[in-house]
Amino acid sequence: MEPTDSLQYQQFMERINRGDRIEAEDWMPDDYRQQLIRLISMHGISEIMGALPEKEWVPKAPTLFRKLAIMAKVQDEMGHGQLLIRVAEDLMAPLGKNREDLMEDLFTGRLKFHNVFHMATPTWADAGVIGWLVDGAAIITQGMSLSCSYGPYARALARIVEEEGFHIQHGESICMELAEGTPVQRQMLQESLERWWPALLMFFGPPEGNQLSTHQQKNLDYKIRSKTNEELRQKFLTKYVPRIRSLGLVIPDPTLSQDPVTKVWQYAQPDWTLFRQIVNNQGPRSQARLGLRQMSYQEGQWVRRVLAMTTPAAV
Amino acid sequence: MSDAISFDVYEVFVQLEPMSAHQHQFNVLASSPEMALELGYENFCRRTGAVSLWVVKRDAIHKWTQDNFSGKERLAKTYRTTEDYKYLKDKWRHYRENPMTQEGPRNGRTAD
Amino acid sequence: MAAQPIDRDVKPEWRDALVDLLFQLADDDLLVAFRGSEWLGLAPHVEEDVALSSLAQDEMGHAAMYFGLLESLGLGSRDDLAHLRPVAERRNAIMVELKNGPGTYLEQPHYDWAFTIARAFCYDVMESLRLERLKSSSYVPLRDVARKISGEEKYHLLHHQIWIRRMALDPDAKTRLQAAFHRVAQDAGDLGSTGAHTAILEESGLLPDASGLTRAWQDQVQEFLSLQGLSWTPVRETSTGRLGKHTKDLEDALDTLSEVYRSDPLARW
Repeated sequence: MEPTDSLQYQQFMERINRGDRIEAEDWMPDDYRQQLIRLISMHGISEIMGALPEKEWVPKAPTLFRKLAIMAKVQDEMGHGQLLIRVAEDLMAPLGKNREDLMEDLFTGRLKFHNVFHMATPTWADAGVIGWLVDGAAIITQGMSLSCSYGPYARALARIVEEEGFHIQHGESICMELAEGTPVQRQMLQESLERWWPALLMFFGPPEGNQLSTHQQKNLDYKIRSKTNEELRQKFLTKYVPRIRSLGLVIPDPTLSQDPVTKVWQYAQPDWTLFRQIVNNQGPRSQARLGLRQMSYQEGQWVRRVLAMTTPAAV
Repeated sequence: MSDAISFDVYEVFVQLEPMSAHQHQFNVLASSPEMALELGYENFCRRTGAVSLWVVKRDAIHKWTQDNFSGKERLAKTYRTTEDYKYLKDKWRHYRENPMTQEGPRNGRTAD
Repeated sequence: MAAQPIDRDVKPEWRDALVDLLFQLADDDLLVAFRGSEWLGLAPHVEEDVALSSLAQDEMGHAAMYFGLLESLGLGSRDDLAHLRPVAERRNAIMVELKNGPGTYLEQPHYDWAFTIARAFCYDVMESLRLERLKSSSYVPLRDVARKISGEEKYHLLHHQIWIRRMALDPDAKTRLQAAFHRVAQDAGDLGSTGAHTAILEESGLLPDASGLTRAWQDQVQEFLSLQGLSWTPVRETSTGRLGKHTKDLEDALDTLSEVYRSDPLARW
């Protein structure tokens, strides 16, 4: 690692503090590159893994319109994975790594994916809640990251955030239909909310308290991110709690309340030990989804080999 | 015509600010990438400046043009835009003002 | 001789043929789209995953348009028609209903890429020939739909042709692809069939040259494959799926694709 008092490092930090965007071929400190690879490869692989829970409902979507919309939605998630993996690959290239290594890291457990995508999706309402609330949470994180100091990531996110507008409305539309629907449909929605609530709180990561982790501090210093986990979670609660309640849904936390003066939300902490188990691939559907991903990846190996083959000019 | 002068054509792409895409400007005649960059900058960035400049030798560009698209128009896919969900705005406003109970909407569902 | 255009009112003696044809078209595209949607997230290459989904969405959109034509003929809502009709009433070809591989999309799919490409190519060739004819159908609403959607089909054909050309350059991939085409041919007999009303479809101009589809299709498939050094096992026309005779694969597919809708067809979803 470069000494932080080197001229190169100081010039780099001047660029960061000035609000410059760093580009792939620019000089950057090793730990800046490492932080980016860590963050973006996790984000990218989460999109790819995130296609799987919703995908369970793609062929089953109730109407032709819903079938079309959810196909497009999950396709977008794969497309977001593509963008982010390309950004990560360019960062990893100087280290001699590519997306094959990312997949290997996923299978060996070195590369984690977001807690929400380890959860079960037993009903159609889960497809709605993922679009409405999980994507709602994601857009809060991604909105923050638009200001990321790394240009290629920020530009990929700009494309992603634009598409998420459709995703959220697609999810809202499913949930609205269930909320306005039969008692059975409402019940399905209420149960789904109860299932997802702790996972939604976990989505932003553990609250920092007064102690920022080393990673967190570095990401803030390097302007890779600009808000803490807790700040993002508070934003989510402010935006979504009133909407959830307006549909007559009951949030499974009797202690949930907002301070009328400070506007800070009090909420029951989810089980953070469970969170760590989940992201370490011990969640309800972790092994099944990893298995599915690994099988399709391995069985597609011969296809990728043919695809990657350099050929004489096409006819 | 034994001493005919020949240049390469380079297409010039300029990025005006860090969050925007590189946009095609026009092209220049040049004999090396280095010269194409310099000429491209002077020719097409003289009013706007740039944060990034790309030149690509024209024969390195593979393309689809009008012939590839005509007769192959894609249908509008409104289901994948926010176009088909505009009705939601009114519904959210309605239920903000008239929240549902645990049994559902107080006066039945709203019109779409 | 061009048939008299039919704007709305179909002669009573032609109506059954028209309805049957529309079900063939709608059911074919519905199943092609359904099988395509099962691949979502599982394709061998991320970029291909995204591309494949666009093709499946196109087909689902086309199915919705055909079901819409049936709806406007008073046969029921398009969602009822797509989701609630029993197996024996389905008019799709056998080839399009077959599973992508031995497993299911939820667990252990073991999906077969070579089969997927071979089948898709065979279907695309048939669809392009059928759409060419439908573009001059005497039934104006169908003619209009055919003109609208035929543009998208050209990308589908191109996509699968590129894959086949590439796979044919590699000995291992070529062997897999050859085996896949052989398998597809075994179940492709009814793909070019237009079912019980072929004579009326031709006479009425609803589907001009309906009886020439199988032959034209085989010629075109064979010609393209032979250019890649692949062979095609000629098939004899049957009418299995077009008469409502199907495999267990279709039963399972219908159970899946209608699971939520069937749970309460009167509810709004």
